[in-house]
Amino acid sequence: MKVLIVEDEKGLATEIASFLTKANYVCEHANSVALAKDQIEASTFDYILIDIGLPDGNGLDLLPYARKHNPEAAYIVLTARGNPEDRVNGLDQGADDYLAKPFFLPELQSRMLAIARRKFKIAETLLPLGSFSVELQKREVWQDANRVELSKKEFDLLSYLFLHKNRVLTRLQLSEHIWGTFADDDYDSNYIDAHIKNIRKKLGQYGDTSWLETVRGVGYRIRLS
Amino acid sequence: MKLSAKLTLFLGGSKLLIALLFIFSLPFLVGKIASAYTNAQLRAQKAEVLKSIGKNGIVYYLQGETAYGSYTMLKEEYISLEETNRSTGQDTIKDSQRLVEQDTLNYRVLSFVFRHGGKNYLAEIGKTNKSIVAYNRPLQRFALYLFCGLILLSMLVDLAVIRRLLAPLGHIIRKRLGKAELPFQTGAPSETTGTSDFRFLEQAILKLQRQVNEAFLKEREFTANASHEFMTPISILQSKMENLLNDEALSESLQPRLAEMMQSLERLKKMCTSLLLISRIDNEQFSRTDSVAPALVLTEVLEDISHRIEQKEMTLVTAIDPARQITRMNKDLLFHLLYNLINNAVKFSHRHGTLHIYDELQRGKYLLHIADAGNGIPAEEQEQIFERFRKGSNNSQPGSGLGLALVKSIANSMDIGISVRSETGKGATFSLSFPV
Repeated sequence: MKVLIVEDEKGLATEIASFLTKANYVCEHANSVALAKDQIEASTFDYILIDIGLPDGNGLDLLPYARKHNPEAAYIVLTARGNPEDRVNGLDQGADDYLAKPFFLPELQSRMLAIARRKFKIAETLLPLGSFSVELQKREVWQDANRVELSKKEFDLLSYLFLHKNRVLTRLQLSEHIWGTFADDDYDSNYIDAHIKNIRKKLGQYGDTSWLETVRGVGYRIRLS
Repeated sequence: MKLSAKLTLFLGGSKLLIALLFIFSLPFLVGKIASAYTNAQLRAQKAEVLKSIGKNGIVYYLQGETAYGSYTMLKEEYISLEETNRSTGQDTIKDSQRLVEQDTLNYRVLSFVFRHGGKNYLAEIGKTNKSIVAYNRPLQRFALYLFCGLILLSMLVDLAVIRRLLAPLGHIIRKRLGKAELPFQTGAPSETTGTSDFRFLEQAILKLQRQVNEAFLKEREFTANASHEFMTPISILQSKMENLLNDEALSESLQPRLAEMMQSLERLKKMCTSLLLISRIDNEQFSRTDSVAPALVLTEVLEDISHRIEQKEMTLVTAIDPARQITRMNKDLLFHLLYNLINNAVKFSHRHGTLHIYDELQRGKYLLHIADAGNGIPAEEQEQIFERFRKGSNNSQPGSGLGLALVKSIANSMDIGISVRSETGKGATFSLSFPV
């Protein structure tokens, strides 16, 4: 999967690229509207991430041009936080999703995957998770013929950790995924702990859950080989 | 009290005082004048008498008797002459009683001794007091009417002049200070006054307001710019930490410390986000075109917060009219407002406490109350809780100190009234009042 990151802050672009590269994406970087246009003409991308405030113009103005040359790509607009018009304009111009800065990198990747499932209509497959299997679109977890009943939030947590397997996610990243910007680390982290406990209990009835690890003082990780 | 009212009262009072003084002193004054006039008349008559005696000789009057007396028909005046062994000297004028034809009457009497033909004679010229006071009453009445008329006239003139003089002051107060909200309206100075003090006052107010406006707008701009600019480094820092956390080169023992750093950064992020939102609201960047059902927004808020309520094992009691609609709102901002208030209520309530959310219609306003079961807010702190970075002394909870400042900003921008009622130890009730 090829990603074009249109972002004038080099530090941020580098970190996004570094994160996505680890998750097996191929990243290119453009720091201006003009450069982005060149790259969009030169090659085809699966994802184009566009920052709105670029030195030579508004990233939103790039959208129609990019969509003409690269109609298959998924577009995510990176907005400044607290600017509701950016969101509306971005979606009007044909963006598939938007993210307000600063965002957590796992959140970006999970949005990209969600668009991919929606847009590219990837056939639903059962994904293995230890002795369990997960159906992301139907939001179901199975152990052989047994369906494990999870609440909405429990499934959100489990699937988010699963998407980022072998990666430790902090309680903050987890609670912001579930409650968005209203997450309050000071007491939502207890809630995350309680839910993980429930997930372990519910799955534990059917099989081993040692792949769901607690990383002391940090958060949780699903470790799969 | 308004200046014009004060001036009117003062003028009225002072004129009343003068009038009373005049009315009480009038009889005395008129009496004095009448008496002085009578005395002068008596003296003139004395001169007349002496002149007549000098011309006709004393015998003409005495006719061989030792005394002579004469009075007018109504006994208003009398004159008497008699021989005396007193020597000539000072004339005396005094009030005394005289018996005239069986009537005892009060007279003002001028007595004097004069020498004629080698003998001393005592002469008395008298005038009844009745005739002296005869002019008193009409004189007094006339003076009183004239005086009252003049006072009334001068009052009317004074009031008209005060009104006219103070009109520009009222105009300045209404125009400049009527809407005491930032930023001030600083239009051109009004041209309605020739009074230099007022001109100066208005110009001074205008100058101050312009300075305040400038500072206010600068602060706003600074807050918006600063929090916006802070976001970029925060973004970069956050991304770097996220990548570092999963870097194989990072030893496991360092991971918790990195997670703590991310938490601190999160607090900074939250503050910047709130400040940015506040300045966007203050700059009126949000439209007010939504018609919103508070019951619906409340449901959304409670959905987001329910896990916190459950965790504290609190009881939630709501009584909200589901049909109520509020127009000219911004739904997102109303959500923010209610979210912050209710989240605070949960945060500061005791375990197992009860959270009450209810509404009512009162005097044309729709009121929404959120009552928590916490420690309450001391009276002296209730004024300040809406200020930025202000935390109450009872508040040991972590937080940015911006939640209620945000609430206040939203309330101001949407014309929602907000007030707090609280007693220490008895929880706090925040009340929102919406125009209907």
